[in-house]
Amino acid sequence: MDYVLNFHWKIVDLMFLINPNKFNQVADYIFRPILVLSILLFSLGLLFSFYLSPNDYQQGSSVRIMYVHVPSAWLALLTYGIMTLYSIAALAFKIPFGFIFNTAVAPIGAIFTLICIISGSLWGKPMWGTWWVWDARLTSVAILFIIYLIIIFINLSFENRILREKIVAIFILVGSINLPIIKFSVDWWNTLHQPATISKLSKPSIDPSMLTPLIIMTLAFMMIGLAIAILRIKTEIISRKSHLN
Amino acid sequence: MLFFNKIIYFYYREYKLNLSGFQDILTNIIFFFLSIFIFIFSIGPDKETISNIGLGIVWTLLLLSSTLSLRKFYQDDFESGNLLILHLNGFSFGFIAILKTLSHFFFVQVPFLISLPIASILLNIASDKLIYLFSSFAIGSLILSCLGSISSSMNLMNQKNFLLGSVIVMMLSIPVIIFSVGVINFEENFNSLINILFGILLIVFAINPWAGGLCLKLSLENS
Repeated sequence: MDYVLNFHWKIVDLMFLINPNKFNQVADYIFRPILVLSILLFSLGLLFSFYLSPNDYQQGSSVRIMYVHVPSAWLALLTYGIMTLYSIAALAFKIPFGFIFNTAVAPIGAIFTLICIISGSLWGKPMWGTWWVWDARLTSVAILFIIYLIIIFINLSFENRILREKIVAIFILVGSINLPIIKFSVDWWNTLHQPATISKLSKPSIDPSMLTPLIIMTLAFMMIGLAIAILRIKTEIISRKSHLN
Repeated sequence: MLFFNKIIYFYYREYKLNLSGFQDILTNIIFFFLSIFIFIFSIGPDKETISNIGLGIVWTLLLLSSTLSLRKFYQDDFESGNLLILHLNGFSFGFIAILKTLSHFFFVQVPFLISLPIASILLNIASDKLIYLFSSFAIGSLILSCLGSISSSMNLMNQKNFLLGSVIVMMLSIPVIIFSVGVINFEENFNSLINILFGILLIVFAINPWAGGLCLKLSLENS
């Protein structure tokens, strides 16, 4: 009983988002459930996307690439958005956890962007006839990938840690101007890439039989990313503590 | 009044420095022309092809040759301690960033502006299009100076990876390239595209004192 109450208190208290010690405590509680959940959701999502979802009437079976392409694209944007928020928090309110988060999470976002680009070009070859077009959406996502790479390179090439993490935060804020360009590029320019099918304000124009595996795969990708992020953030906290002593 | 005197002396000093190191700027311009020659040799001397893609080549090479001198943007003043002296004389770091950006614009980018007509003759660009090239480059070069200020102030303490500053400038300058080449190719909506360029300039000019000044301050604190 005491365990349950304690657990609840730790989930409700949002200080774990900005405090490394509380983050460590909460992460110890939720890491194994997240790992189990990610395995379950990923196998369920693969089952749904390969066997329980219909073929598209135009694209045939290659529409199933969507169940990898769309979640990774969303998560690449989401990762950069959260990094932007943490950079603002870290620079404006002097919260060092933001720097830890930026350092730890940038490679995860880079990998999600890479998955998005590769699966998109694999999807584009049978549908559009080319691996790559110089389209606004594709170009801006490629720039997002380069931004992630530059963040990683800045992290690797500066000697002084205090300087490095602040410069990374400034660069993330300057580069965040790319996010609205990616989001609205399909609306502003006349692109080959289709506009957003699923938006918050209107009813999605996708059939529920395809929406279900998409949502399951998104949740599975989120859980996998979260598990890796927890591991990387804990490693980063430990390495900083050992450097301080 | 003392404040304006200080600004005037700052620019007098920059003028002296750039005049004594004028061969640097000349080397930049020679790099620009040599790259034009190399482009023409690699494409072939076909007049139609060259005049079609000439403007894009000019813009690309202007960008590349203005990133060559970025290493000297703050580095000399930083290592000789003049940035600290400027700050002790009552300039905030953001204001130093603005002053150095304008000085980079006047002493490094304006010589390119003068050499543009010769390049347009070499690349067979029609002389009635030259005014579009001039107006877009006058705005775009100031944007490039601001981006150069941001990236070179980020890389002041970077001892390992010198190319990172140029990579940051090239990545941030992609919208400038898109809209400024568009200005030349679509004369009918010249005004709207030049307004977009001007908007980018205002955004970058507003970001520059914040980001550049903060990076200067951090580098001086941690040096």
